Amino acid sequence: MKVSLATHGGHLAGYHLSRPAQIVNAKSLPKDAGDELARLVEEAKATPASGDTRSDLARDAMSYTITIENGDPPVVLVQSDATMSPEFVALRNWIRTHAASK
Amino acid sequence: MRIPMPRSRSASRLMPVNVKHATTEMRPAGLSRHQLTRQCRCANCFMPPHLLQKLLESKDKDIREAALNTLLSSSRLRGERMARAAFFSAAAPANGRRTIFDLHNSTRLSSATAARTEDGSPSGDDAVNRAFEGLGTTREFYREVFDRNSLDDKGMRLEAYVHYDTDYDNAFWDGREMKFGDGDGVLFTDFTKSVDVIAHELTHGVTQFTAGLDYRNQSGALNESISDVFGSLVKQWSRKQTAEEADWLIGTEIFTPEIAGDALRSMKAPGQAYNSDVLGKDPQPDNMNRYAQLPDTDAGDHGGVHINSGIPNKAFYLTAIRIGGYAWEAPGHIWYESLKASNPTTEFQDFADTTYAKAGELYGPGGIEQQAVLGAWREVGIRVSAGPVAVAVGARRPGVRVAASSVQEADRLAALTRQIDDLSTQMKALVKEVSGLKAASRRQAA
Repeated sequence: MKVSLATHGGHLAGYHLSRPAQIVNAKSLPKDAGDELARLVEEAKATPASGDTRSDLARDAMSYTITIENGDPPVVLVQSDATMSPEFVALRNWIRTHAASK
Repeated sequence: MRIPMPRSRSASRLMPVNVKHATTEMRPAGLSRHQLTRQCRCANCFMPPHLLQKLLESKDKDIREAALNTLLSSSRLRGERMARAAFFSAAAPANGRRTIFDLHNSTRLSSATAARTEDGSPSGDDAVNRAFEGLGTTREFYREVFDRNSLDDKGMRLEAYVHYDTDYDNAFWDGREMKFGDGDGVLFTDFTKSVDVIAHELTHGVTQFTAGLDYRNQSGALNESISDVFGSLVKQWSRKQTAEEADWLIGTEIFTPEIAGDALRSMKAPGQAYNSDVLGKDPQPDNMNRYAQLPDTDAGDHGGVHINSGIPNKAFYLTAIRIGGYAWEAPGHIWYESLKASNPTTEFQDFADTTYAKAGELYGPGGIEQQAVLGAWREVGIRVSAGPVAVAVGARRPGVRVAASSVQEADRLAALTRQIDDLSTQMKALVKEVSGLKAASRRQAA
């Protein structure tokens, strides 16, 4: 499984336009880390963004695209600061930590 | 509401005028328009209509123009007073009371604890106190400069959350309150450190309750620009800086010392706010010929709303510099009135035309203010399409195009007089309708 995280918008929108996505390939991970990633992915997929009706009024909020490639057609999750589920945040943070450590 | 009066040729700076004591005093015939002065005097003084009519028919062009300016200003002020009287008994405002919450680096509001309230003591947390002060400064700016009672002009409470998320290099408005990150400590520090960023976010609320500019493509870039304009004005107002003295930078205080960057954005020089190996180069354009065509997607920043805002930002900066003095006076009022006259799909051209019309309406056709607006938009690649005669109030009238050189002066004055009569009729109808609605509401309540 390979997961990637792209960040968009906010006051640093211009900076984010030119940044490549952060990528983690599970093949390179220890088993425990790989299992943890798989769990976080399933939890994030199962928990949609909140249906806050104010979300379309959010301004300068950042959004995040997590792409999960696991042999099947990729699954793409897109959530924003105004709507993120805790499970999505957990996956996002995990990718940031493990992509940065490489 | 304080209305900055038009600049007299002999005045060195625009001075705010309190409407409650406004009057226009005109010198005897024979003196040029340039020698006329405007003073704040007694509350009930005004030019008798018969004398004003006589001056409108004067053979002296300068006298006629000055009388016309008086008529325009008086009609608008009468309209404002009538409207205020109609809304006088609206619900008592909450006056923008502030509450700051601490999110403890979570994204869930359920994790938040109240950190400071309007009447509470200062916090031991500097971020809390900065947010509190920034909200207050912005609130006072809108009240003092535009007579606006909080973001919705009805005293809406102001709430902010600090310590949002972890390593969060951003601040945002969520439609009801604002949230600040602490920065990652590498690129950025705490976003509460910049009062212009705080005011930028709150101004998204003002836009939400006025024009409601769609957050995509040009209307979205305009939305962003409006927030930068009034964010910068709040900073300038709090420091009592003139347009020349201001730095016109957004977010100068949030960069870490290690980053070679001036600010998030520069209104004076879009594209030059930062240029470093870490951040790359500021991508903002300063002219329509460099407009960034980006997709209306999350990845495309909704058509580049944070990118193309550089164009109207530069237009405001140029307008302010050319008028001179305090930018929150004439330039700020032109932009504020234009914001209120705009709608969700207003684009750059529409807004430019409206600012030109509003400058003429507020400060007189052909004045320094209108010429500054015209030149500013031209310099960023937008030619104002409304001619010098078009002074529509509210949404601009599409398709009206008048070449100034071809309009005879008598026709121009007649057209303006008709427009003023139309305005007065419309205002009377509006007041009557509001009074009727209020009466119906009282009957229902009883």
